[in-house]
Amino acid sequence: MYVRAMETTAPNFAVWRRPGAPARPRVVTVGPDLSALIVAIAERGDREAFASLFNHFAPRVKGYLTRLGTTPEAAEELAQETLLTVWRRAAAFDPARAAASTWIFAIARNLRIDLARRERRPLPGEQPAPEETPRPDAELEAAQDERRVAAALAALPAEQAQAVRLAFFSDKPHAQIALDLSLPLGTVKSRIRLAMARLRILLEEAG
Amino acid sequence: MSPSHHPSEHHLVEHAAGRLAPGQDLVVAAHVANCEICRAEVRLGETVGGALLDALPPEAMAPDALARALARIERPIPAAPPLPAGVTPADWVSFDSPAVDAAWRRRRWAAPGVWVAPVFRGPGRARTYLLRVAAGMAVPYHRHDGHELVTVLKGAYDDRGDLHRPGDFADNDDAVEHRPTVTGEDECVCLICADAPLVALDWVGKVFQPFVRI
Repeated sequence: MYVRAMETTAPNFAVWRRPGAPARPRVVTVGPDLSALIVAIAERGDREAFASLFNHFAPRVKGYLTRLGTTPEAAEELAQETLLTVWRRAAAFDPARAAASTWIFAIARNLRIDLARRERRPLPGEQPAPEETPRPDAELEAAQDERRVAAALAALPAEQAQAVRLAFFSDKPHAQIALDLSLPLGTVKSRIRLAMARLRILLEEAG
Repeated sequence: MSPSHHPSEHHLVEHAAGRLAPGQDLVVAAHVANCEICRAEVRLGETVGGALLDALPPEAMAPDALARALARIERPIPAAPPLPAGVTPADWVSFDSPAVDAAWRRRRWAAPGVWVAPVFRGPGRARTYLLRVAAGMAVPYHRHDGHELVTVLKGAYDDRGDLHRPGDFADNDDAVEHRPTVTGEDECVCLICADAPLVALDWVGKVFQPFVRI
């Protein structure tokens, strides 16, 4: 179902592409490899693993933050901080609970909110996570969830995918997004709702 | 007991995406910290955020970015300022927030049986605060300009026949006119983020609002 392709900016990672995908491929990185890099940092302070993670994620974190309206200079610094946090808190990363991209997304998001709030919130692992029921195959599932979500995002109808992307990566309120798309606000909200419902069903079916 | 009133999916997705204003984010976070159902929803949102992050076109970092990062990781980790131990009372729902802790220390009596503790001001006319109302008391009849988000941290209140217990979330829009009443034997403490000061609809509220300033 998937063909393997290599991404030019991060040659060390296996990336997957749907056959017949558009010319600018929607690349989806395989979870376990990236997770293994964080584990390598935690277990033996692996600097090569850190460099690979940095090369992959820092430019994307910067892109995420600039989309949310952060200035390029501040985004560059927050991307540095995000990857520095990954290095320092690697031991708190639990591949059974989250894929690498999920964890790093949450770190970047929290650092950005903290900057807005000017308050320090607990770093990952500084606070005990709420008790979840552990399952023996949870690690595999976390990685599979991420891959399934990525595949499902790629398979969403274009207007739903656009709405979800804007819901995450736009500094504008939904009302402004609706204006920009010349759509009623209710339509934008219902597209996001439909997309999330679809993703949830997909994960529940697979889980 | 798990909460029975939850944020809308809109608020949960916006929370996972990190797009809520600080005050609204805090009120949603207080609910999510105490609700397994909503935590699962937020995790889904974070997974979506991670997948989208992964698929973003990279934005070039400074040429020396990696060299700087590699130099920074060699430096000793500066001691993070210690997180203050949870200072809010132990009988509140479990939610650790330095901003809420700091606010609680600043609480001031605003009326008999009522204290208010500002958490954040803004943006604009928005206010985020803790509100404590003693057992048996009611908040004077009022409505809101815009939205008011509420998470119960302790105790319970009745709003038009609907019971809100610890961890419960409410989103009151400008169509709501109400007189929430504290039920049970205990005081009720809520974390609230309102887009604008409430609009008093009876003489009691109009008399007290200048003192309460919410």
